[in-house]
Amino acid sequence: MLTLIRREIRDNIVYFIAAVVFSAILIALLTAATYNLDWISDPAVYVGLSIPMLVILVLGFSAMGVTQMYIDRNRKISAFLSALPVTRSWILAARIVAGLLAILTVLVPLTIAVIVMGRLIAPPIPIFAGYIADILTTVFLMVFACYCLGLLTGWTANKIAPTFGALGLNIVLVSLVFVKGFGPDIKFLLVLVIVACLIRTWHKFMSTSL
Amino acid sequence: MNDNVIKIENLVKYFDGRCVLDGINLTVPRGCIYGLLGRNGAGKTTIIRILLGLEPATRGRTFLLETESTNLAPKIRGRIGCVAEGHNLIQNYKVERLIKLCKDLSLQWNDESFDHLMKTFRLPKDRRIKDLSMGMRAQLNLSLAMAIDPELLILDDPTLGLDTVARRQFLELAIEVIQKQNRTILFCSHILSDVERIAERIGILAAGKLVVDCPLEQLKERVKKLRIIFPESVPENLYLTEIINQQIQGREMAITVANWNRQKQAILETFKPSSCTEIPMSLEDIFIECTRPGAETVEVA
Repeated sequence: MLTLIRREIRDNIVYFIAAVVFSAILIALLTAATYNLDWISDPAVYVGLSIPMLVILVLGFSAMGVTQMYIDRNRKISAFLSALPVTRSWILAARIVAGLLAILTVLVPLTIAVIVMGRLIAPPIPIFAGYIADILTTVFLMVFACYCLGLLTGWTANKIAPTFGALGLNIVLVSLVFVKGFGPDIKFLLVLVIVACLIRTWHKFMSTSL
Repeated sequence: MNDNVIKIENLVKYFDGRCVLDGINLTVPRGCIYGLLGRNGAGKTTIIRILLGLEPATRGRTFLLETESTNLAPKIRGRIGCVAEGHNLIQNYKVERLIKLCKDLSLQWNDESFDHLMKTFRLPKDRRIKDLSMGMRAQLNLSLAMAIDPELLILDDPTLGLDTVARRQFLELAIEVIQKQNRTILFCSHILSDVERIAERIGILAAGKLVVDCPLEQLKERVKKLRIIFPESVPENLYLTEIINQQIQGREMAITVANWNRQKQAILETFKPSSCTEIPMSLEDIFIECTRPGAETVEVA
């Protein structure tokens, strides 16, 4: 299993490097905002930067899911691996673990940075900490849901379906988060999307010809 | 203990409403080299893919090493070596990386045997798979399959793309493997001379059915091609069962008969032919006759 996870990480190393770079940019922006640098303390700039960052995050991980499945199907990677002592479920599980690790590469350093900055400048109000936790959990679920949508739409020989299918579904999902906020209902909805996507992807991957 | 390494029970496969395999039954005992033949699109690769669990069957069941193909655990897969048609290795990997991946995933790895093969085939480890020629890919695929000391080796057109020398090396290697280790080989190929050289038992697929399934020697004995010349014209009421093919030209008749025996010979003699000569048949001749539409099934007595 570890070999399969390593293989997935190495094959998708571009996404991991991008995740590290992206995480660094986010932390830099957060630091700038924390120390009230002039150019970012303006809420318009702050919101104006947050939204594109979130969109990049979502689209990036969705693209990772699509790439993993599309390349596998079209280069017959799983067909080759299946002739070795592994099962299809292991291959898929390793893929999802790699995706999760890539997401965590962005979100874990960011969370640590948020906690540290919070300790430095924010007043010790529990509601504030809860609010930050809500945002980070929702962002994690949203990004993971988009990644799962990428996995689901990527298993095809057609190039248009995964590109526009994943894009369309991501827009719907992100719009929902913008409309509903970061409350428990949106979290529940995102968990439902994740579970549905994973079950469908698993079913597709297990039953299809490789 | 059941000693059939491969078992196929009433296998049916449809692709887009077209029947590719129509009730295939087949068993391959341990230690046998089985040559599976058929024309393009006859379903050889489909059988192998279903056996390996890469393709679902429409109906029927297949077993490898006494385990159903749909449920092959890694432990079982680790005992099976496979060389797939087209050598679908991971194209963007370097040879070295692919070897490491296979080695890390395999349950056992014979470094000595693998290095020997790599040296024999002179395969470069620093090149990408996509930059290798078809022949080199075939050699690499074969080396990887052999390195795990497989109990069962499944070869789907393994010599495709190999030059004569490499093909000969491969065949000798296959014979060496089977003789040394009493392993089982399922071997599909279009190069009938290769199959004839190594296979003990032959199966021929035609129109979705297994029209031949018997030992090679028995097949050669059982399928006969005769040139019969009658004093006048060929009798219209000449009736022999299991005629695979017949051609009539004036007084002369050429027939290919399955399961040729004394009874059939006696029936033929009642028509008092002027002469009856047997035309020697190679496996290729038998294959061509058996894959004609409407060919009879050659069953082992």
